[in-house]
Amino acid sequence: MSAPNCLRCLGRRPSTATTVTAAGRCAPFSTTAVNGNVPMRAKTPNPMAKEIGFRSGARLTIKKKKVNHNEGKAPAPGERKAYRKKIVLSNDNALPVPWLKNMNAEHLASPQSAGKVLSLPSELQDQLRASEAFQPSQNWGFFRKPSTLVRTETVDLVTRMQDSASEKKTLRLVVTGSKLVGKSTMLLQAMAHAYLNGWIVIHIPDAQELVNASTEYGRIPETEPTQYMQPAYALKLLQAIKKANEKVLAKINTVSSHPELPQNIPVNTPLLTLVNAAKEAEGAWPVFHALWSELTNPNANRPPVLFSLDGLSHIMKMSEYRSPSFELIHAHDLAFVRLFNDVLSGNLKFPNGGAVLASTSRSNAPRSPSMEISLAQRKAEQAGAAPEELPKKEPYFKGYDDRVEAVLKSVEVMEVKGLTKPEARSIMEYWAASGMLRAAVDERTVSEKWTLAGNGVLGELERASLLTMKYF
Amino acid sequence: MASTANSLRLCLRTSRQTSSAVSPLLRRALSTTTARCGMPGNTSYLTPTGVTKSEIPFYNQTFQDPSEYLQTVLKDASASPRDKQRAQQMLKAWEEIPIDQKRELQQLTKDAQNEMVPLRRHMRTRPTQFWSAHEQDPDLITDEIGEDDFEEDDIMAGAHGKLEEHREYREYARIAVWEMPLLANFAKKFEPPAEGEVLRFRYTSYMGEFHPADRKVVVEFCPRDLDLTEAQQLKLCKLAGSRYNPEKETIKMSCERFEHQAQNKRYLGDLIAKMITTAKDPTDTFEDIPLDTRHYKKKKNQISFPKEWYMTPERKAELEAQRKRSLMIDTQKRARHELVDGVQMIEAGIAEMEPVEELVAVKRGKAPAARPLRR
Repeated sequence: MSAPNCLRCLGRRPSTATTVTAAGRCAPFSTTAVNGNVPMRAKTPNPMAKEIGFRSGARLTIKKKKVNHNEGKAPAPGERKAYRKKIVLSNDNALPVPWLKNMNAEHLASPQSAGKVLSLPSELQDQLRASEAFQPSQNWGFFRKPSTLVRTETVDLVTRMQDSASEKKTLRLVVTGSKLVGKSTMLLQAMAHAYLNGWIVIHIPDAQELVNASTEYGRIPETEPTQYMQPAYALKLLQAIKKANEKVLAKINTVSSHPELPQNIPVNTPLLTLVNAAKEAEGAWPVFHALWSELTNPNANRPPVLFSLDGLSHIMKMSEYRSPSFELIHAHDLAFVRLFNDVLSGNLKFPNGGAVLASTSRSNAPRSPSMEISLAQRKAEQAGAAPEELPKKEPYFKGYDDRVEAVLKSVEVMEVKGLTKPEARSIMEYWAASGMLRAAVDERTVSEKWTLAGNGVLGELERASLLTMKYF
Repeated sequence: MASTANSLRLCLRTSRQTSSAVSPLLRRALSTTTARCGMPGNTSYLTPTGVTKSEIPFYNQTFQDPSEYLQTVLKDASASPRDKQRAQQMLKAWEEIPIDQKRELQQLTKDAQNEMVPLRRHMRTRPTQFWSAHEQDPDLITDEIGEDDFEEDDIMAGAHGKLEEHREYREYARIAVWEMPLLANFAKKFEPPAEGEVLRFRYTSYMGEFHPADRKVVVEFCPRDLDLTEAQQLKLCKLAGSRYNPEKETIKMSCERFEHQAQNKRYLGDLIAKMITTAKDPTDTFEDIPLDTRHYKKKKNQISFPKEWYMTPERKAELEAQRKRSLMIDTQKRARHELVDGVQMIEAGIAEMEPVEELVAVKRGKAPAARPLRR
């Protein structure tokens, strides 16, 4: 049973707070606590309590342990990400491989170089690095110089690019394949070829960054349906383009003035100046738009353009951005994605030829059923299947997206498969000569590793022979 | 206590006989036997065939006291004069009894009768009872009462159990040796279903026991076996809905709606006939509705290796040639000193390196000139 007043309170004098307040001033039935001009009493220790002896005497006090929070220096903002994204392209401890040649403009297109390992010249390395073609998950840092194996698929892809450029057509191609098979490396090789041949390369290294609501976005006025620009990403992309394509951009000039830009860009200004006009994120999108219109201008003589993107399935679904009415924005309503899709679907062509390449990803890829079925259909079509034999959509599945299917209606699909055994041998010899594979590379070893790697999946081959000490 | 009453009833059942002799008290006060009609002078109380129950005297008649009964005897034409005389005497004696005693007796009879009603009720074992709950276990060889009392004159109960078990084994062994081979006489040769036998029925039997599932009939058939066009087959599959198995391309239906197996089978037969008629109906071919196979989940772990992996003589020869080729490549490379060996490469690389003297840790600042460096 609880007493109305606790025993300790009995010792005190009854509170007089209410009596102090003038009764006439407060409402008679108010539930609000009375506060106001009540003179605060100084807290004096109650002598009565001490006499009675409640809770007096020795007390147990437990001291809190002082935790030292200052354990080392916390990484600076962005430092962790920089470490995560760090790309190491050379290893001084690795042995130089004597037979290694630098890649030149013709190498990748010639069938003779299929199955050979070629190293990237340092200028090309810088260009590729600027456009983020290297990925941290690839093992470039094991060897003295970054080098790639030229595969038959590479030669095939590069030849097609060259053909389309010479015919002033746009190659529209999607690179697919199973996990770790070398799809991104295929893109890298295509870009290497483009850089070496004086193309202009625009590369979106990770499509995820465009759609996962990590960069700022804004409506583009006077667009129907509403499109959204991503100014911060535009600035980043422009800087990458500038750094990677500096030489080419300096040579070609604008053919139209761009009155929408705040800077005065007269006709016959080098494109490099145009690109340099973007200093801040604020004006980056108009500058990119101007650059794009210059590159796709049918009246100008432009070098071929390569527009590539890694992680296609990210842009083939709803993005994570919200419209002003808080509805999800379809990825195809983002201006960058729209540009890419216009070229990929064939609605927009590069006047002087070029290529648009997209590669699917298998490690970080949301499911896009429409993309999967479309690519399967295109593959079947290329294999010569009749229209009624094509893979069919599931009639009762609701997750299909017509916009995605419209984009992928007529693209070419190239499936990257595992290496052949001679190719595997070639790359393993390179590993062994670099001192990274402590084994004699004979047919037996090659066959063993090739089989372990799921019939020559390149990434698995690395895991089986290079990364044996790494814990996955 | 039902069990006590039950045992009592069973004991009394053995001596269940309706007395033919006329007694002053028609019914024993403590009888657990059901009241049955008694025809005076007739020893058989079973209803004779041809005699309807209404013709039997006293059928379904209860007497409250002896006088009632004695009076019916007196009125009865078939009773002998001697019986009637005795009845007369007894009636007279009854009337001399004081009224209190009569009432007491009547009350007692009534009470006893009421008590006995549930015991007298005839217990019928229901044939349709599923688990046969009231059936006694004939295999139980001990009632567990006093079984642990050992009187030094027998083997232990456990040993008895073991012996019984052994007997049982032997019994089944005898059956296996002597009787089971005779089953071969009943064997029928398997005949694959004929052209017209497209329906495959499955029945369930629980070896004569009653089971709620024994009425179930399952039928399975392949629409392709029926005499239908492609479009009609497809319509039939669509009609079957989730009963269609797209992997086996069969339709499987079951019925346990009716009480008997034959009824269920008839229902299924009728249903299939109706489905086929509907499938043949050209007014609506269901072309606009795609075949729905969402109900079907493909079984996992169905590993099927590609055909090329089968070890055929050609494949063996191909592999052999491949091995020879690779061996040749290796030998050639070795002869030309082109075979890359990782270990050798590393050793050669280390040998090529300029020797670097071992680094020594030295204190910063001026080194004391006199003293040698501390190693």
